[in-house]
Amino acid sequence: MDKEEMLWKLEGLHTVETVAEALNIKRQSAINLLSRLKKEGYVTVEKHRKSLYKVSMKKQRPRDPGMFDIINKYSPNMKLAEWYDHQVHGEYGPEDALIDAIQTKSFRAILASMRLFSHIKDWPKVYRLSKEKGIWQKVGALYDVAKRFFRVRRMPRTYPQHNGTRWERLTQIKKMNFPMIGKRWHVYIPFNEYDMREVA
Amino acid sequence: MITYKDQMDLFRIISEKIKKDVECYAFGGTAMMFYGYKDETKDVDIIFENEEERKDFINAIEGIGYKEWAPFDIYVPEKLKNKYKPLVFKFGDGRFDLFVKKIFRTVISPIMREDVFAVHDFRDKHNLRVKVFRKEHIVLLKAVTERDRDFEDILTIIRKEKNFDWQYFIDEVLWQTEHGDSWVLFDAEKMLRELKKYVFIEEKYLKQLYDVKKK
Repeated sequence: MDKEEMLWKLEGLHTVETVAEALNIKRQSAINLLSRLKKEGYVTVEKHRKSLYKVSMKKQRPRDPGMFDIINKYSPNMKLAEWYDHQVHGEYGPEDALIDAIQTKSFRAILASMRLFSHIKDWPKVYRLSKEKGIWQKVGALYDVAKRFFRVRRMPRTYPQHNGTRWERLTQIKKMNFPMIGKRWHVYIPFNEYDMREVA
Repeated sequence: MITYKDQMDLFRIISEKIKKDVECYAFGGTAMMFYGYKDETKDVDIIFENEEERKDFINAIEGIGYKEWAPFDIYVPEKLKNKYKPLVFKFGDGRFDLFVKKIFRTVISPIMREDVFAVHDFRDKHNLRVKVFRKEHIVLLKAVTERDRDFEDILTIIRKEKNFDWQYFIDEVLWQTEHGDSWVLFDAEKMLRELKKYVFIEEKYLKQLYDVKKK
């Protein structure tokens, strides 16, 4: 059996025993085979009580964390299933992930990213990035909503409030939730108290 | 040949040299390496949405030592007459094929833009964002470019991919046809006929192409 055929047969999650059974080989041969395939990049291992081997026809490349990884790391109650593989090769933290999440205009991504306000260490960076992307208004509104539901890292008072008249939407939804905050920042906030409780 | 590691190093170095944020789409061998379909490629295929971004990218690769190269031995003569042929840059074994707006007659459709497989951000002073097209789009573009070994690569993708969505592929071919790329229909049909010699593809997909041809 050539390698491609073997990988085709094995693709998915396995233990040593299931590999041995699928290929009709001895346990030790299965261990040797998995070790060789792991070196070649076709297998990754998750250590539980029993090792679980993820076999793929494609090489599994080492990953750098991206927006979805950072959001899922800091959001304990609401996790996101990624709809594309986002990786950042370079410095990337909660500050960057928050800005990226807002730019997706996705309801779920923005909602799950609210927890990042508890982990912002570099407010000047958030301010600079959001000004560059033209989304400071949205960051300010989300911060005000977040601090009503959980502890957040305080935003320095020196940063200006929004003083324009143009209303912005975070997503496609045009709703007037949290009207006081919405009017203050001129932002339509798509989620309500129940949604926020899911994150908090 | 450019390995996966070379490719990542190259993008990292380019991100240090660009003068503003640049966004581009990877297809061909580059995208296949991001997917894990193969370990090395002859060329890095990239398409930009506008000329300014391509210029900035070119300045960066020229800073590394890449020089412009005439693509006569790479593409068939008919393709080279096209206004949207790529600018090719070479340095040692490595090569960049840089397209802008169109890959010959094929445009970046809204679906291609929205539904990408991966987004890789290479961050330095500025951000180089490389979006990787979905496998169905990679196959379509390989059928369009018709270079040496393109068919081999298509076969590699189909053989390694249990979830290749043929209807998604056909829908994109039909969209491109409706939006001015009449050649894509012939390229896709030719590719499917050839592929049928190696893998099983249901006739209903080819039939959809014939139906459009009849019109």
